[in-house]
Amino acid sequence: MRLKALWQNLFRRREVEQDLSDEMNSFEQMLTDENTRRGLSAGEARREARLEIGGAEQVKEAVRDVRTGSLFNNLAAEMRQTLRALRRNPGLTWLSIAMLALGIGGSVSVFSIFYSALLRPLPFAEPDRLVELHETRLARGVDHAAFSEANFWDVRAQNHVFTDIAAYHEDEGNLTGSGPAEKVTIADVSGTFFHLLGVAPVIGRDFSAEDARGGWDNSVVLLGNDFWRTHFAADPKVIGRTLRLNGKAYSVIGVLPAGEPFLEVQVYMPFGYRPNSNRSSWEFTVVGRLKPGVSIETATADLDLVGNVLARAYPRDDKGIGFVVWPSRRWIAPENTRKALWLMLGAVCLLLAIACVNVANLLLARGISRQRELAVRTALGAGRGRLIRSVMQESFSLSMGGALAGLLLAWFALGSLQALETLNIPRLAKANLNPWVLGFAIVVTVLVGIFSGLAPALQAPSSNISEALREGDRQTGSRSQNRLRSALVTAEVGLSVLLLVGAGLLIRSFERLTHVNSGFETAHRLLFSINFPGSYWENGAGQQFLDRFSERLSTLPGVVEAGSVNSRPIVGWDPGMSIDSQFRESKQGGKDVPWAGWRIVSPGYLKAAGLKLIRGRDFNGHDRPVWAEKGQPEPQRHVMISQRLAQLLFADTDPIGSHVTLWKGQSNRDAEVVGVVSDSRERGLGAGPALTVYIPNGANALTSEFVVHTRGNPLAMAPQIRAIAAEIDPNLPVADVRSFDEVVQRSVTPQLFNTLLLCVFGGLALLLAASGIYGVLSYAISRRTSEIGLRVVLGATAGSILRMTVGLGMRPVLIGVALGIGASLGASQYFASLLFGIKPFDAATYAAVIVVLLATALVACYFPGRRAVHTDPAVALRSE
Amino acid sequence: MRRQQSTALLQGTLDVLILNALCIDPMHGLGISRRIAQVTQGTFNVKPGSLFPALHRMQEAGWLTSEWGESENNRRAKFYRLTKAGRQQLKEQTEQWGLISAAMTSALGLA
Repeated sequence: MRLKALWQNLFRRREVEQDLSDEMNSFEQMLTDENTRRGLSAGEARREARLEIGGAEQVKEAVRDVRTGSLFNNLAAEMRQTLRALRRNPGLTWLSIAMLALGIGGSVSVFSIFYSALLRPLPFAEPDRLVELHETRLARGVDHAAFSEANFWDVRAQNHVFTDIAAYHEDEGNLTGSGPAEKVTIADVSGTFFHLLGVAPVIGRDFSAEDARGGWDNSVVLLGNDFWRTHFAADPKVIGRTLRLNGKAYSVIGVLPAGEPFLEVQVYMPFGYRPNSNRSSWEFTVVGRLKPGVSIETATADLDLVGNVLARAYPRDDKGIGFVVWPSRRWIAPENTRKALWLMLGAVCLLLAIACVNVANLLLARGISRQRELAVRTALGAGRGRLIRSVMQESFSLSMGGALAGLLLAWFALGSLQALETLNIPRLAKANLNPWVLGFAIVVTVLVGIFSGLAPALQAPSSNISEALREGDRQTGSRSQNRLRSALVTAEVGLSVLLLVGAGLLIRSFERLTHVNSGFETAHRLLFSINFPGSYWENGAGQQFLDRFSERLSTLPGVVEAGSVNSRPIVGWDPGMSIDSQFRESKQGGKDVPWAGWRIVSPGYLKAAGLKLIRGRDFNGHDRPVWAEKGQPEPQRHVMISQRLAQLLFADTDPIGSHVTLWKGQSNRDAEVVGVVSDSRERGLGAGPALTVYIPNGANALTSEFVVHTRGNPLAMAPQIRAIAAEIDPNLPVADVRSFDEVVQRSVTPQLFNTLLLCVFGGLALLLAASGIYGVLSYAISRRTSEIGLRVVLGATAGSILRMTVGLGMRPVLIGVALGIGASLGASQYFASLLFGIKPFDAATYAAVIVVLLATALVACYFPGRRAVHTDPAVALRSE
Repeated sequence: MRRQQSTALLQGTLDVLILNALCIDPMHGLGISRRIAQVTQGTFNVKPGSLFPALHRMQEAGWLTSEWGESENNRRAKFYRLTKAGRQQLKEQTEQWGLISAAMTSALGLA
């Protein structure tokens, strides 16, 4: 019954309406008949009938209101009216939609990135039970380190809290046998790694216990999804095919699904337990699945017991060993990326809020001029609810228009952001307009509709209809409305201050960051890497290549100096060791042993990278690596140390010729210091000058990251260098060729991106705020034209009028600035870790923001003020 | 808030009066209005602004059906008729009103 009624009311409206009209006519006719029978004249009878009905239209309206689905019909009708009203005001409509589109588009894009980076669940089964494990040596200041292979197997066997733990180790290899040699990424995983994560291959099978039986010498691989697509055209018959990696044949047993983390490597090899595995080299990422109901605290406590056993059994390597357990959500984004994304989301929401306030202001201004219309409609029977609804519908239409345009904007923005590869935002490539993001967009649209319509809606239906009807348009902007509009300006200014302070702090940080002295000379330097296959580590093959390669390089006419290192400066991995000296130990005891990064370098590296030798000598061909070669006696060890490390270890005494203990507390290798090298920011521009130990390269310590100092454009040398490498060994690919300058620039792209984004938001906020200030003041002045005219007549000077009007406009601005500064002081300290080289309360930034905002506001106030000054009193006084 | 309450009360009253008026014969709107005035001795003078919304609402609820027919004075008019659900409704509401009325009478000491 209801459904049928609903159907008819919605889709057979015309018939239903006709029926109602007929019924009313018939009713009126019968009433008239009745009255005629009572003896009234025909005219009287009809008039009486109409009086009794009390307005056929109102009765019909009342019937329409009770119909099932009346809401839809009313809404549709009102919607049409609203759209007509918006069309009548194209300027306001498009301006509002544009502002909201910016706000909504921005917030949707940022949310999409935010969702993808931080909220999208991991592609693993029951991620809540997944954790990451680290070794610690808290007494030596190591609060998290990778696992050694032997410790991994022992912890796996001895713990009581995990259903399983598995290890993961990234490596690189040379793929040969199909076209030119190619470098591929390889992950060595313990056999149960994917089973533990709950990841099943999309085709083929997972590693079995049998596959990992050979310790590190197995012959099967799983392929990463991307690699399968790019190298095998997603061929399902890839199972059983053979890959030649580092000169050895592997058979493909399956293909993994795409995903992050752990699944983006190209080739996966299993490894199993082997006796005599290394206990001192921290290389493995270890993941674990907690038994159901086991908390991280319980797990840590259990691991401590295991640690005690290990420390007693292997005092040389595991003295003071402990463990720390991290929840798996840390796999997605490191702390600072999280913070940066929160900052962006917050910033874009502020921008959206400012856009809302501006639209509210526009609607309010128009609402005032519509007061008469609304009063008329009230007189004609529209209820207060319906009038509020009509104003709200306007703001909702605008917000929906803004949302549609905004989604389009977000789509473009995401596309262009994804084209930038160096942003370093986790899972950026997966950011899209998925249902969650669309849900967010809908919520935002509704909120925008409510917030931008709220103020005007509450203003709309004046309770005093007759007054509203009697008075002209310009009279009806009441005092409370002006106050409301000033409050909106205050809010807008306050929010802008927040955004501008954020932008300012990031600009200052970025400026500091890019002007920091990296310690390297980056101009005219070319960086590239060559990855050596396993065979290069045997019989001095790698050493021979390095010798021949550097000899050939140095004879190239464009090359000033060439050198190599095991880890690319600034952006490479950062192996470290504890290091101590007799001198320091005698002064400070065994406490606070310094932790230094170590770099294996070739003799020419310092010069090629622009590092300066402060004291002593550089390595020469006679220095051997610190590790003994198989079957050889322990070498005479020589190292160079960075300046700050020298200061820590030897204070002001001359370190040359003194001895240090490398891997203090582990292998305790003794070495002689032969040189002191100028400090550099090995770990990135944002990190402080690193403590570094330089170790000579050699047959068992190959260096595969090359730095070449060239005379001209470094990139122009790349083809010649490739040619030389290919001449010596055509199976060695030259990869990751970039100029040093570019490497440094790319290392700060995330910060640059944050800074630029916040600047754009801040600039837009300033623009919106200025237009808000301008609009409100213009309106206020136009309302007071006659007053100003009167003042002019009474002898006010142009200056005093300008002062008065500008003062009027600046009052809400000043309040807003004060509130905004207060809020910024509170908010900025949460993001202190994103800043570099400045404090969150950087006075210069705050001062600059205040100046910029006040200047903008003054300009926005000046134009309406100047118009006020030029008021012709005769015209002004006549205007009412 | 208060206004809404009193409307609701009136609505309940009006519903049962309309159902009662239609208990014997189908009737058109004017007839229903006159019948209610008659049976309540003029206490309730139902205005069209209340009558028609109520009729349409009850029809959509399935208590009434309507059809066009000839009035006693040969005018085309829309006649409303109780449905089965309407009769059931009338029965229930009559009982309810009996209870309320007895309770109110005794509570206010009118008997």
